[in-house]
This record gives sequence, C-alpha cells and structure tokens, in this order.
Amino acid sequence: MNIVLIILKWLFHILVFPGFLFTLCAALLLAGIDRKLVARMQNRVGPPLLQPAYDLLKLFGKEIIIPRQANKKAFLSAPAVGLASLLVTSLLLPFSASFVAVSGVADVIVVLYLLTIPAVAIIVGAASSASPFAGVGLSREMVAVMAYELPLTIVLVTVCRKAGLMMDESGMTFSLATVMQYQAEHGAMITKLSMIPAALAMLFIIPCEVGAHPFDIAEAETEICEGTLAEYSGLPLAFYELAHYVKMFILTSLFCVLFLGGFTTGVVVVDLILRLIFCVVVTFLCITVPHAVCARFKVEQVFKFYWTWVLGLALVSLLLVWLGL
Amino acid sequence: MMQHFPILSIMVLFFGAFLNGIFGGKNAKARKIIVLASIFLSFLMVVAMTGPVMLEGQIISYWLGNWEPAMGFAFGIGLEVDAVGLFFGLIISTAVLVSGLYSFEYMSHDDALGYYYTLYLMLGGGVLGLVFSGCLFNIFVMVEIMTFSAVALTAFRNEKYGALEAAFKYLVVGSIGSTSVLVGTILLYNQTHTLNLAQIASILPSVSNGVTAVAFGFLFVGFATKAFLFPFQPLAADAHAVAPSSISVLISGVLTKTGVYGIIRLVYVLYQSMNLGPVKTLVVFIGTLSMFICVTMALAQHDFKRLLAFHSISQVGYVITAVGLSTALGVAGGLYHAMNHTLFKSLLFLTAGAVLHQTDTTNLDELGGLSKRMPKTTVLFLIGAASISGLPPFNGFASKWMIYQATFEAAAAQNNFGFALVGIIEMLTSVLTLASFIKVTQSVFFGQMPKKWENVKEVGNGMIIPMGILAALCVITGVAPSAVEKYLLAPATSAVYSVGKYINAMMGEGFAEGVSLSSETVAVDLGRSGYWNPLAWLALLGILLFGAFVAFVLLRKEAKTKESEAAEMFGSVDEKFEPFFSGERAEFSQVGGSDMFWGFKKVMRPYLDFMHDAHSGVVNDYVRWAVECLALVLLYCVLCGL
Repeated sequence: MNIVLIILKWLFHILVFPGFLFTLCAALLLAGIDRKLVARMQNRVGPPLLQPAYDLLKLFGKEIIIPRQANKKAFLSAPAVGLASLLVTSLLLPFSASFVAVSGVADVIVVLYLLTIPAVAIIVGAASSASPFAGVGLSREMVAVMAYELPLTIVLVTVCRKAGLMMDESGMTFSLATVMQYQAEHGAMITKLSMIPAALAMLFIIPCEVGAHPFDIAEAETEICEGTLAEYSGLPLAFYELAHYVKMFILTSLFCVLFLGGFTTGVVVVDLILRLIFCVVVTFLCITVPHAVCARFKVEQVFKFYWTWVLGLALVSLLLVWLGL
Repeated sequence: MMQHFPILSIMVLFFGAFLNGIFGGKNAKARKIIVLASIFLSFLMVVAMTGPVMLEGQIISYWLGNWEPAMGFAFGIGLEVDAVGLFFGLIISTAVLVSGLYSFEYMSHDDALGYYYTLYLMLGGGVLGLVFSGCLFNIFVMVEIMTFSAVALTAFRNEKYGALEAAFKYLVVGSIGSTSVLVGTILLYNQTHTLNLAQIASILPSVSNGVTAVAFGFLFVGFATKAFLFPFQPLAADAHAVAPSSISVLISGVLTKTGVYGIIRLVYVLYQSMNLGPVKTLVVFIGTLSMFICVTMALAQHDFKRLLAFHSISQVGYVITAVGLSTALGVAGGLYHAMNHTLFKSLLFLTAGAVLHQTDTTNLDELGGLSKRMPKTTVLFLIGAASISGLPPFNGFASKWMIYQATFEAAAAQNNFGFALVGIIEMLTSVLTLASFIKVTQSVFFGQMPKKWENVKEVGNGMIIPMGILAALCVITGVAPSAVEKYLLAPATSAVYSVGKYINAMMGEGFAEGVSLSSETVAVDLGRSGYWNPLAWLALLGILLFGAFVAFVLLRKEAKTKESEAAEMFGSVDEKFEPFFSGERAEFSQVGGSDMFWGFKKVMRPYLDFMHDAHSGVVNDYVRWAVECLALVLLYCVLCGL
C-alpha cells in the first residue's frame, strides 16, 4: 500500500507537477508572453498568447522527413533525449526551501551537466542529418556552449560558496535546497552586494544558453537556414521547439532559485504564482528586451563577449565572496 | 597458495613472452594459445587477489627466495600487494586482456607478429611488476622493461610515416625519465641504505634533508615522464598516432597509470609529505597545467588518434590534480577517474583502431558518415565519448563529479582561492573535452560520407566484443558508483593513508610502531556535500523517454511517408529526401574536423599559435623542456625544504 502510494506520488511529480504537464504549460505560456512582448516593443500587434501551442499542434500533424543520408536512429532519438533530460531537470529545481519534488538525486553540478545534454542532443541530431548547414550550425552551437559554460560554472560556484559559508560547516554546499534555505533565512542573493555581478552575468548567460535572439548563432536562419534544425520537420522539430521553450522556463526558474529565492510563503500555490511572475520578469529582462533591440552577433563576438565581460563579472563576484563580503 | 600470486601473475606474462619468442614466430596457432593462456592466467590471479586484499583488508607480501628481513633490515627483493597496488593491478590486467583479445583480428594485416606479441607480453609483465613491486630498484627495472617494450611497439609499424621518429623521441625523452628515477633511487639508497619501499618509508621522515629533497624531485619528474604529464605531452601524441591501436590502449590506459601510481606511492607512502603545502601546490599545479594545455591541444588536432592522445594526458591531469588535493575524497576521486580513464580511453582507442583498420586513415578531414557503414562501432564510440566528456550517467561523470566535490571542498576548507580556480578549470576542461569529441563525432561517424568510403564494412566480432566489454564496464561503473566506492575505492584510499600497515606487512609486526607510526588501518570518510543518484535519475529519464517513444509511435503512424512509396509516386528520386542545399549543391561539402569551432579558434588564435610553435616536433626542444622542467622541480624541492 505504502509503496503504491510512493510510486503514485512519484508518477504525479514526474507527469503532472512539477514535471511534464506543468513544465510544458508554463514553458508555452512563457514563450507566448515573450512573443507578445517583443511584438509590442516593435510596435506590432503580435500573435495570440497561445500561438506557440498552436504551432506545436500543427507540427504534430506534419509529415516526418528523414534525409536519405541521415542516421535514422540518432536523427529521431536526439530530440526525445534532449527534451526528456530537460524535463528531468525541471524536477530537480526546488520551488521553495521546503518543496523539492525529487530530493537527494542530484546537486548543482549535476544540474549543470544535465543542462548540457540538450545541447549535445541538438548537436548529435544535427550531425546525424548529414546536412552541411547543420554541420556549420552544430559547430557554432558548440562554440556557444564553450562560451557560456565557463562563466556559468563560476556563477554557480559563487552562489554555492556564498550559501555554504553560512549554511554548511565545510564552507561549501552543492544543494539547491540549501541555497533556497539560505535565502529564506538571510534574504535573497540579489540583495547581497557581492552577488550583483554574478546575477548580471547569469542574466547574460540565459539568452545564450536558450539560443535567444542576439546569441542565436547556431540557428541563424538568415545565414545558415536554421543551422542545427535545417533537416528537421514534423514531430522531431516540435520536440526541439518544445525543448527550446522548456529550456527558457528552466533557466529563468534556475535564476529565481539562485538569486530570488527568499520570497516564499510556504503555500505551494502562492509560491508557484510568484515563481511564474519572477520567470516572466527575468524572461523580459534577458530574452525579450535583447531580442527586440539587438541584431545578431557574429560567432567570434559571442565567444569574446562571454570570455571577457561576462567572465569578468562572474570572477569579480567569486573574488568578493571568497574575501567574505 | 595466495601469497605466490603476485609473483606468478607477473611471471606468467614474462614466461609467455619467452615461450612466444621460441614457438610463436611462425606458428600462429601456438602463438594464440600462448598469448591467451598467459593473459588469462595473469588476469585470473590478479582478480583472485581482490578477495583478501580489497574485502578483508590484508596485504600480500612475498620475498623472492624467501629472503625475509633480518635484524630490521630488508636484504631480499620483495613484492607487496596492498589495495592501491591491486587497484592499479586490476586496471592494468583488464586493459592488457582486452588489448590482447582485440589484437588477434586487428593485427591480422601485419607481419612479424611473433615479435609483436613477445613485446606486448613484456610490456604487460613490466607494468604489472611495477605496481606489485615492494622495492624501489625493481620499480626502476620494470620502468625500463616497459619503456623499451613500448618504444619498440611504437615503431612496430615502421613502414608508416613518422613511426621511427616517434619511437626515437620516446626513447630519448623516456630515457631521461628512467634515468631520473634511477638517480632518485641512488640518492635515497645513499641516505637510507635500503631499497625496500616499506623500510624507506619508515626511515625517511627522520632523515629528511637536502639530499632526500633532491631525490624527491628526481623521482617525481621520472614518474611524471611515465605519465606524460606536462611538459612531456608531445611524446605521447607522436607515439599514439603511429602505434597500433591495441598498443595505444596500453600506452594510454596502462603506462600513464604507472606514472600516477608512482606519484601516489612517492608522495603518500615514501615521503608521507602530502600534508605539506609546497607538495600539494606542486602536484596540483602540474596536474592542472597538463589538464588544460592538453585539452586545448586536443581541440586543435585533426588526427583521430593524436586527439585521443592529448586527451589521455588531459584526463591523467585530472587524476593528478585530485590526488594532489590531499583529501580522502580527492584520492578516491582520482583513483576512480584513473580507472574510468583506462576504460573509456581504451574503448575510444579501439574504436579509432576499428576505423583505421577499415579505412586505413585516421585523418578527421578525410573521414565522414561512417555511422551508416559501421553502426556498432558508432554506438560504442558514442558511449566512450559520452563517458570521457562526463555526460551523466556514464562513468566519466561519476568520477569527475567526485573530483569537483573534492576540489571545491578542499578550496573551502583551506580557504584557498587557487583551488577554487583549479575547480573551475576542471569544469572548463570538461566542456572543451566535450567539444573535441563533438568534432570527432561529426567528422568521422556523422556528417556526409565521401564517395570513397561507400564500401566500408563493419569490423568483425573479434574487435566488437572487446570494445563491447569496455563499453559495458563504462556503463556499469557509471551507474553503480556506490558499489565501486565500497569495494574498490574505499579500500584503496584507506591503503594510501595506512602507511604503518604497509610497513608492518613487509618488515614484520611492530616495526612501524618502532618508528612511531600507527599500524592501524586508517578509516577514510568519503562523505561529501553533494548528491548524485544515477539509478533514480535513470528511472526518471527512462519514464520520460518511454513517453516520448509512445508519442513517436502513435503520431508517426499517420504522418510517415516511406521513401520507397514516395519513389513509386514521383519516379526514382524525390528531392525532399536530399539534404537541404538551398539550391546551390556544388558549393557545399562535408564540414570536416579542421572546419569546426571557427569562432573559438579565431579568438584563441594567439594562444593556439604559441602552442603550435612550442610543439615544434624537434626532439632537441623536448629534451630541453625535460631538462628545464627537471631543474625547476629540483630547485623548487630544495628551496621548499621538503
């Protein structure tokens, strides 16, 4: 009886909240809001709020074309693996200090690595399609990963150190729940002076990791015809689009966990709504505004930007935290 | 019976080499029987020792000719197998076994196989002898045996461009390393009047002076040469690129591990100096430099095996860095990564060998699209690539995760900002590793297939099965890290710290207490602040993937148009199944190895140019590096007064 209950609870977490269903809905909603906001900023009317969902429904019904030279298994399984690992990541992010769907399974480093799996899935899928556009796209995608991964690592280490100094006797914690706990007790990370550069760095990292507009070198449709996605159609393409939206939600959500963690009430529903509002704000700041304002960077500009400015911001924060500020 | 296993497991290999030299020259069948019998026997004996050594915590010691120590002095030659030695012994005999099994099909195109197997068995015996030896001079002897066998095997395909050159470089710089070990041994003998490791360990702390500090420097550089650590990495690259892949497995998976083993023995057991700040700094510094420089070098390669060679050293850099942290978790993580490195790097070298065997090239710019012709090799390669890049849930991730934890915990506990930077470099290196394997994936197995590879076939089972064994081990050690930790890492880590026990097993009960060392087994606490539960994670992923699979099946039924049906409808060729060229087919070609990561290369150009010039390929330069490095390390050791 007990085991059945536990399994049911797990399945509920995985399939409904905060896993599959909730994450998908939240991601689609976020994507819809993003598109609407971009349109308003560019003085357009913009699509309806549910347009991303309509697009996906249309793609579900479309024919799947597998290029003759492609490796079928890798071509079809890559999108599914990417989406699945993102959904798993969504289970590991805490909503408040007390509510984590699946605890004791993974820590910050694991989350960091889980977030690279979707990028690897896109790359392997693109490579297996044997298209030259995809070849260029995957090369650029990997450059983007190399660009943002270094500052992202430093931001995560900084947050872990900051929380660990107070919360863990070893001076370091890797648990996202502990990071939340710290913020519940000592106020949100963003209110600490030493953490502001790291938060800024994270705001720069999110659009690149998501592949949003000024940093979407891998998909650049005007230059390399959607690059990594050039050969995809129908359901696999829908999976990729979905993974794109989910990634947007998860990364903004991760930002909330790392920097905006203190504002919780303990009531799950209220926390949820708060989290969604924060996600929309973060999305607006780091995805919508650059999308509406900037033109796409060149490949080497992206790399240089992350390994100088963003890296510098993250390092400043790490140094300040290490000095005990 | 059990106490004879250490010497027998080594003797079987040497005896096999001897027999093979006599009977195996012409007769392929006799050769096969001799080789298989000796590697299997040796492997079984090493495995049989795991029971008492790993589980019960015994130390097996053996005196040749039963010349046991008298009056507190070790006269005879001793073998001593504790949990660290056996841990490396297990890694080594597994790699030797797999490499031997693979050789039969892989080397079938070559001639003079009698010499090949004789040298191969000598190499295996030398390496196993090194990790089981309880005597410093015999370590030198085994270093010589394995170095010369490896040099000869590097030059085995001497019809190939660069084979003799690589062997020559290896010979010259390898000799500097061997000599360095010998000089260190002589200096230690001068100070302690013994060659037995256990006895040296009992005497050294009390006679520490300038000479022992210099001896430390010599031995450290000597073992670093054997592990090809910075600045010895160019040798490995040249040697791997031309050696047969089955030998690359031994050079990368086994020879480098003897260097790691030597360094662990040196700093933890002989000098017991790991708590000293300067030693930590030295070891971590060398490890980090090797890790980072070699991974950037690997990114710039366009030969499959050269790329793997640089990654070998980069991964050994992880091991050395972790060991240098001087925490129990660091040692355990380092040992774990050493084991995993042997597994996944051997697997990758074997897949490279399979590609070489079928296409006769390892040039990344020429290959492409082999996944359609060699599907099994592709899957095995992807497992190896995911492991080395540290993607969960494969073994590379489990060990790297432990190393990260150890690094950041050491940084936090000692409030050492340098270690925090080392941790960040470790994680960066991991991403760069991923990038270079993406490059191999795209330019060898995926991407477009050049016309000339259309008739390439999959390799036979004689090569697939050894690769399959390694791939299975990669998955198992990645999914069950707690079992690996309990049965292998915890005993080995404890043995690293239980110096007194090591001395007593060799010199008789009560000897360690005589020099005020405790002979208790040191219990190690591998507690850490993070969580990683691969089984739970796999269950989550499995459920979601199953869901995705169902969705695919349900939705695909209606939407799918078979190419054959389309061909019937529209004639022979339907354009929509061709790759998308936006109408300009002629302009496009395969995106090969050298074309990848343009933005990265452009920004890093000054650094890469500098590295390119530094790796001049001239042996004189490499010797200069070796000597300069030796001088610097000696100076450092003396100035810090170890």
